[in-house]
Amino acid sequence: MNWTRLLYPLSVLLVLGVAPFDALARIKLTTLPVRERVEIHLDHAQVTLVEEERIVPLVKGVNQVDFSWANTRIDPDTLVFRILPPPADQPLDAKVLSVSYPPNENALVWAVSANASGTARVRISYVIGGLGKDFHYRATANHDEKTLNLAQYIRVNNNANETYEMAKFETGIGGLWFDKPLGLSETKEVQLNSFTAVPVRKTYSSDPQKFGYLDRAQDKLNVPMHYVIKNAGGSLGKAPLPAGKSRIFQDDGKGGAAFLGEDRGEFTPPDDELTLYLGLARDIAVRRTVDRNERQRIAGNLYRYDVTLKYEIENFKDTPVTLDLTESVRQIRDQIRGDNGRDPEWQLGDGSLRNPDPEKSDGDKLLFHVDLPARAADGQAKKQIQTLRLTLNNEW
Amino acid sequence: MTMNRMTHWLCLVSLLLPFTVIARNVDLATVPERRTVQLTIYNSEDLTLVRESRVVTFKQGVNPLQFSWANTLIDPTSVELRFREPRAGLEVLDTTFPHDKPQTLYWNVQSDANREAIIEISYFTSGISWAADYLAIADADEKSLRLESFVRVKNNSGEDYENAQVRLVVGAINLVEKIAELAKLPVGRVKDELRKGDHRELRQQAARKIMAAPAPASVAMMDMAAGSMQEMDAPKEIIKEGLSEYFIYTIEGTETVPNGWAKRLRSFEVDGVPMTIQYRYRPREYGDQLVRLYLLKNDAGSKLGTTPLPDGVLRVFRANGSDGLNYLATQSLKYIPVGDKIELNLGADPAVIFELIKRKTSRDNLWFQIKGGNLYRKLGEDGMRLELDSQVAGWDEHTVYRQKIRNYSTRPISVQIRREIPGDVVFRSQLNPMLHDFQTVQFETEIAAGGKAELDYELISRQGYNQKQNRVELQSGEVGR
Repeated sequence: MNWTRLLYPLSVLLVLGVAPFDALARIKLTTLPVRERVEIHLDHAQVTLVEEERIVPLVKGVNQVDFSWANTRIDPDTLVFRILPPPADQPLDAKVLSVSYPPNENALVWAVSANASGTARVRISYVIGGLGKDFHYRATANHDEKTLNLAQYIRVNNNANETYEMAKFETGIGGLWFDKPLGLSETKEVQLNSFTAVPVRKTYSSDPQKFGYLDRAQDKLNVPMHYVIKNAGGSLGKAPLPAGKSRIFQDDGKGGAAFLGEDRGEFTPPDDELTLYLGLARDIAVRRTVDRNERQRIAGNLYRYDVTLKYEIENFKDTPVTLDLTESVRQIRDQIRGDNGRDPEWQLGDGSLRNPDPEKSDGDKLLFHVDLPARAADGQAKKQIQTLRLTLNNEW
Repeated sequence: MTMNRMTHWLCLVSLLLPFTVIARNVDLATVPERRTVQLTIYNSEDLTLVRESRVVTFKQGVNPLQFSWANTLIDPTSVELRFREPRAGLEVLDTTFPHDKPQTLYWNVQSDANREAIIEISYFTSGISWAADYLAIADADEKSLRLESFVRVKNNSGEDYENAQVRLVVGAINLVEKIAELAKLPVGRVKDELRKGDHRELRQQAARKIMAAPAPASVAMMDMAAGSMQEMDAPKEIIKEGLSEYFIYTIEGTETVPNGWAKRLRSFEVDGVPMTIQYRYRPREYGDQLVRLYLLKNDAGSKLGTTPLPDGVLRVFRANGSDGLNYLATQSLKYIPVGDKIELNLGADPAVIFELIKRKTSRDNLWFQIKGGNLYRKLGEDGMRLELDSQVAGWDEHTVYRQKIRNYSTRPISVQIRREIPGDVVFRSQLNPMLHDFQTVQFETEIAAGGKAELDYELISRQGYNQKQNRVELQSGEVGR
């Protein structure tokens, strides 16, 4: 705690039975109840709520309880003063009569009435600015990239200009709490979860709309790589994974770990997939061309288009991989005849790509899984030709 | 009154001459103290009516009185002097605003005898405001909540008001209507011609009319200092009283609010207010997100309903079951009449995932305009030829949607979805929807804890030449057939 500012932000004036303003005399005696317990609630997406529990001595009659928060960003309008129920053997009935706000001060005065002299356990809650959190992850894939260990961390940043000698932090993640002190301008990092041996899928993807071309003149698509982790199974899937930066490592098989890169993972609800970008695969070449584009007049200015896209795919790796090939039908239509502002009406034709992944495809997006064998023993990659045939109906 | 802050005061100028001689430089004055003061504060306009009483001794004949209000925000044209006790025998002869003394006026009071009298001075001041605010703490199981209402009086008027009876007027919007109603304009004048000065005058008249109403009987106990002698001081009661179009909150006893200070008092406190939780998708009201709401009512069945809830900021917390709170939301509550519903928007719930997927698009019922003329033919119709010089002029666009909702919370949820669909549209589904208005479809579903819902519907939008209406028609049927 900053001794010059907030040594005793809560004080009780021992003035019995007088109106609060009479107590603004120059000579006064105050008791200074210390914090018995502090809870910092980080469960809300934007707002941090601090709760302090203090034992406040009260005398019979009206007591003045001062609370001040110089140089901190407490939102005074959010202050809640609650008197907790007393223990059965020490019944003390206390009530807040009013709150007064002095001019030009970060302070307020509660007038608290008590039916007897004694102590009351009170909770003071307030929203504070400058005390926030973020999440980050460390993912370490095993050598064969089939599983990984995912460590989840919370980082609490204290720019609130206040010290908490010991506080219980509610993380808002799966009901997890931790106890730590938090100093002035300190950042505290705590590991929340460690998910071990999480199945991971390494994907190689092409999607001209999302990932674009590596070389447009040669019709070569970018093929980014991702680790895809499903937030389900084992200890995962109990809570959403909040957005945060992930550092990605791979076990190098020699007791060390190689850094593969980092990515900002998005908020991932249970059953959804967390996708971490690893960079571009240079050993997989995908060349995409519009192989055929024929139109047939139905009537007047109404046409049907028969379109075939051709993919020449080569895997120069010595391991087989699966390519996730994604297309937007609207983008194909716009490419062959221009955008007319309408969603395309389409049917899949008899190309080699006929079975889109039903879970990951919709009225516009088509995703195909294409198995690519490893290059041959002589080092030659086999060129695989895939075709996507579409009929676009009712275009004008 | 704190002397170093006392800025406005009344003095009886002890000269046995009418006020024409007051301009001299050597004056003697006596200062009668304020006996009582009453503040009536409006919560939307910067307007407070102050009524104060003082005891003044008059001699027979003309008595000059000086009233001054340096460094305060009093409207000088609003100052009025009345005689409360005795009512007869005293008369204000004239009121003078001297040119050389700003924020001062003089009254010449004619008294028919030597007597002591209680006078009442009333005036409008700005700089005193009040606002309501609310605190709602939901129980851990979110079945009921505790609602506390507060009023906060802030005094920036430049004057200290000690031991003042404080009355707060709710319903300022109605006040404007009341002013209009009271506007006894000269014949031929219409409301729009009201000049600013007239408006102020009428506003004051309306406020004075409210003030003329008797205070509630329970407020008569003016001296609560004895309260501290009781077993225990209770929070002051705030008496709510409906009066015509207004509601007047009178704070029990008297309050002291020094200049620059604000004071917050509890207006009411109700525990165990029943509530329900609903999830709503209404993009026009809540943006493009599914939000979670607490729904309750300002009625007797909900332990409320004794007073309308004035505009104010409401903060919502939830008890966490171990003496702690979780912050949920802050929202501006608009005036809630007695019997009306209270809807607290808690924002999106990360435990409920709401996704809309467009699954398929198709077109049929295509009509052509032949050669740019008035002749239209339907595709596939007998005699329809493959005209080169014809254009698609109308069609029906079928779009199949799937609304996916996943509930990862630990309780079943109730979801209401509203979608505004412009144009001539058929909404085909088996969702048992209803029309909220001519172009807004509403449907509801319940989702078990940990459950999922997939709600399919098809929109058939008649476009171009086919559009005959601008409304949504509900149709029960299989989607995407």
